[in-house]
Amino acid sequence: MLTDSEGTTNEGGDILDWDEESLPVEGVRSLFVTLGKAFRAYQLYDENNPVRKRFVDTLRGEFESLWGELDALAVSLDEDHIYLGGSEVYTSETRNDSLAFLFFKDGVRELTFLPGIETHELEQLLGVLQKARKLVPEGDDLLTVLWEEALQYLKYRYIDLLAEGVSLPEPGAGNTGPELQAVLAAEDEEMAAQEEDGAAAEDGADDSPQTVSQDDFNPTLYALDPREMEALRGELKKELNRDTRADVLKALFDRLEEPGNRERQSEVLGILETLLPNFLSRGELVAATNVLRELRRLEKIQGVFDEQRISESRRVVDGISAPESIHELIQALYLGTIRASSAQLSSFLAFLRGGALEPLLRESETVEHKQLQVVLRQAVQGIASQNRGALVELLDEEDPLVVAAAARLVGQMQVAEGAVKLSALLRHAEPPVRLAAIEAAVAIKASMVASSLEAILGDDEREVRIAAARALGELRYTPGAESLATVIRSKQIRRADIAEKVAMFEAFGLTAGEAGVAVLDELLNKKGLFGKRESSEIRAAAALGLGRIDAPGARSALEMATQDDDPVVRSNVNRALREED
Amino acid sequence: MAELNYQDLGRKLLTAIFGALSALKLYPIENETVQQALTELHALVEGIVTVDGSAEVRVVGDFFFLNETRLRLDLTNFASFGSFARALNDHGIGAVEIMGGVTREEWAPFLSMLLRPADAEDPFGSFEERFAQAPVTHISLRPASEGEKPQEDEEALTAAKRTYAQSVKVAQEVLGDIRIGKAVNVRKVKRAVQGIVDQVLSNEASMVTMTTLRDFDEYTFTHSVNVSIFSVIIGQRLGLDRLQLYELGLGALFHDIGKQRLPLEVINKEGGLTDEEWDLLKEHPTEGMLLLFQMHGFADVPYRQMLMAYEHHMKIDLTGYPQSRRTREPTLFSRIVAVADAFDAGTSVRSYQYEPWPPDAVLKEMRDNPKRGFDPQIVRVLITATGVYPVGTLVILDSHELAVVSKVNPSPDFLHLPTVRIISDSLGLPLSEHKTVDLAEPNPATGRPRHQIIKTTDPHKYGIRVSDYLLS
Repeated sequence: MLTDSEGTTNEGGDILDWDEESLPVEGVRSLFVTLGKAFRAYQLYDENNPVRKRFVDTLRGEFESLWGELDALAVSLDEDHIYLGGSEVYTSETRNDSLAFLFFKDGVRELTFLPGIETHELEQLLGVLQKARKLVPEGDDLLTVLWEEALQYLKYRYIDLLAEGVSLPEPGAGNTGPELQAVLAAEDEEMAAQEEDGAAAEDGADDSPQTVSQDDFNPTLYALDPREMEALRGELKKELNRDTRADVLKALFDRLEEPGNRERQSEVLGILETLLPNFLSRGELVAATNVLRELRRLEKIQGVFDEQRISESRRVVDGISAPESIHELIQALYLGTIRASSAQLSSFLAFLRGGALEPLLRESETVEHKQLQVVLRQAVQGIASQNRGALVELLDEEDPLVVAAAARLVGQMQVAEGAVKLSALLRHAEPPVRLAAIEAAVAIKASMVASSLEAILGDDEREVRIAAARALGELRYTPGAESLATVIRSKQIRRADIAEKVAMFEAFGLTAGEAGVAVLDELLNKKGLFGKRESSEIRAAAALGLGRIDAPGARSALEMATQDDDPVVRSNVNRALREED
Repeated sequence: MAELNYQDLGRKLLTAIFGALSALKLYPIENETVQQALTELHALVEGIVTVDGSAEVRVVGDFFFLNETRLRLDLTNFASFGSFARALNDHGIGAVEIMGGVTREEWAPFLSMLLRPADAEDPFGSFEERFAQAPVTHISLRPASEGEKPQEDEEALTAAKRTYAQSVKVAQEVLGDIRIGKAVNVRKVKRAVQGIVDQVLSNEASMVTMTTLRDFDEYTFTHSVNVSIFSVIIGQRLGLDRLQLYELGLGALFHDIGKQRLPLEVINKEGGLTDEEWDLLKEHPTEGMLLLFQMHGFADVPYRQMLMAYEHHMKIDLTGYPQSRRTREPTLFSRIVAVADAFDAGTSVRSYQYEPWPPDAVLKEMRDNPKRGFDPQIVRVLITATGVYPVGTLVILDSHELAVVSKVNPSPDFLHLPTVRIISDSLGLPLSEHKTVDLAEPNPATGRPRHQIIKTTDPHKYGIRVSDYLLS
């Protein structure tokens, strides 16, 4: 028995009772070939693609020309074929993209295309087929989709699986027994008695709920006036625009707040854990933030959660803070799936836990979007401030990018507990990491790290050597003066560029103080055998080193060279003096 | 050629006819209001006739068709639909065809004749005779088809039976699967609800009849389906479209799903529940919402359906359950389900519930007792659908005959005058042939209704299963 698209059931199909010879079999065959191609084009190309458009236009033309020969196109189908009358008009080698199988598997056995489909519903039909192809087994099928789409120009008949094994309700004979008479007589008597009572009472009130009252005949008591109807229409409009998700979340949090049912709390927390990625996949960052905010609030209310629930609640936030989740979030921000203002993104990120630090740090280092970078960096700092331990742990990460960023952050945030690891990082294989560790060491003023800085004054990388020297100077690390003295006397420094020379000499000045005047004075002013002086660059650097020493001796040494013949020396001496002033 | 939006035009046309009929009832034909109403009506009809060549308005049962398009009934038009349908039915007119060339002047005689009392013996013949003498040449009439209608009714009833039986079976399967923790086939539920929506849209009366089947299956299953049916009926009158009705019907079918998490001893307990058991029972809305999170197969998270499950006992003043800690206003869909649920539950025998009330008493209680917490406007929308005496109500007529209400009067002015099936004579002797009587039909001699309901009564007292008299 087949059911048609209108929901009515009938035994037979009259659509196939045609005069076979008059059927435009070739035209229909061609139409289904085109329909199959258009169907595939729909799968492969997007809306504006010319190939897809061409197939749809061809299909439209084929339908149009068919209406000259048919009032409607009615076909039947089996698993692999479509038939017009007795003639096969469509077959497909594979079931994967077979139109016949697509309809057949969900119970459709007959299709009728009506004139008008080509102008009104062709795109919609192809959309339905496309949707049907992607359906998952536990969800909709073609029939539920067709019902929802309510195509006016495509009728279909199908085997209704719901009808299997269903017996229809049938009426009984009714009560034909004599007791009807007795009960009715008793009820008549009761009514008569009530009537008498009613007559006796002045107000004539009727206590029986079953005896009809005058109210029943007053339409104003049940009719809706135009104002009320308008109000209901307004209600409907409001309903359709309502944020039902927010209502459900409120319900979930209402129940989550009840400590009396621990099992339910766990269930709700499990649901929230599932919902968060769902929100994010839809770009609903604000909703996700609200969930995180509420969880944090409930965690803080005494007695709402026991230990287990607190740990489950934290697991929800940990899940969303996991590197994979953050990676997805960043992807979504790049792709535009999540469109959030900086403030919204900051609010969300502020709730994340330590797990989010590593991926966020990485992204904050590499992101090209400046505004996003600012937001990410703020977020990273916010999370790190709540998770200092997690930040320090990042100094052990493998990724040099993350380690370097973490090191800088340790410095910026003055995380003293990171000092030991920073020392180790000064020996890291990657120069940017060593540089970041130096930067951090200066920021947290860690003497423990400073001692390690001496060791890298001879680093292979010029930048690192310079940074280490500057760091020692900035830290005024007196014990480092000896190492720096060795450097400024070394042959290597004489081969170094001016910037490195300056860095080393200035660092020496800053660390040695007055004790370093003699060395620097010698390098600036003293002539060697045959009256030969140091190179201009060394002498200029020595001058700048002296400029860093706040001592009369240093000034005297500089003043001696103010009239030096070498303009480079003279200029740097004067600069050093100015800086001293 | 321009294409017409028949739904929109049809509604406007019936509203214009209703307006013209109302104006003619109150004022003389020269009156400006009458003239304006006729002008509006004529302009509308001309628009249709110009494109289609003619316009046919046909009435079949509760429905109007404009040039073969069935017009949807909703909150904005049920009064005008009902009034015009009644006028046509009284005169035995099944269809009115307006042909090209119709003039504005032809409307007043036709409509005025519709307002006159119908001839009791031969309503159509008598009308046609007078109509032939009127200066009307481009409006023709066809009688209501006597042979066609019962068959249509029968087909509709069979279709309704099938949809109902399938839906109950699906409810049984789904609720059973949930109880044993098996994955639910949501697709089947969707198909069942789609069937309910189709049936309500095509023949609401038959579906309402099905809700009187009290012992077709376990209460839990039939109740779920009945609530879905009544919700869709209310939703239709509120103007919800097909897909919105489906959303509503789906949530309504699932509204009590949370009970499947409660012990069967509580759900099926005969007699009263202890306080502890009541407390447990009050958890079912929350459990329902949570259960729906576990159900796969929805295109989206079914938030709206979850709210219907969660809020349907909340009451509009939030004094019901579950209690809310955060601000909340139950959704319109939840309020609809609450009304549908209470109406069906109140009229049913339930394991832990008292004796069922007669349907009219349930409606009155819902309408008049604010402590029940129903949205009063939605209750009244339900009453416009069920009438004051809903289908299946056992009544005693002023003739002391017993009758079962079989059909609601579509006119909002006559909701208290349904069609009934008389099942016994005034002495209580069962009738072998049940007589169907329209209580709105006046006695031509007195102009007053032939019969009146004087009391509603309890079918159980009489050992009657009302559906026996309605399904045949």
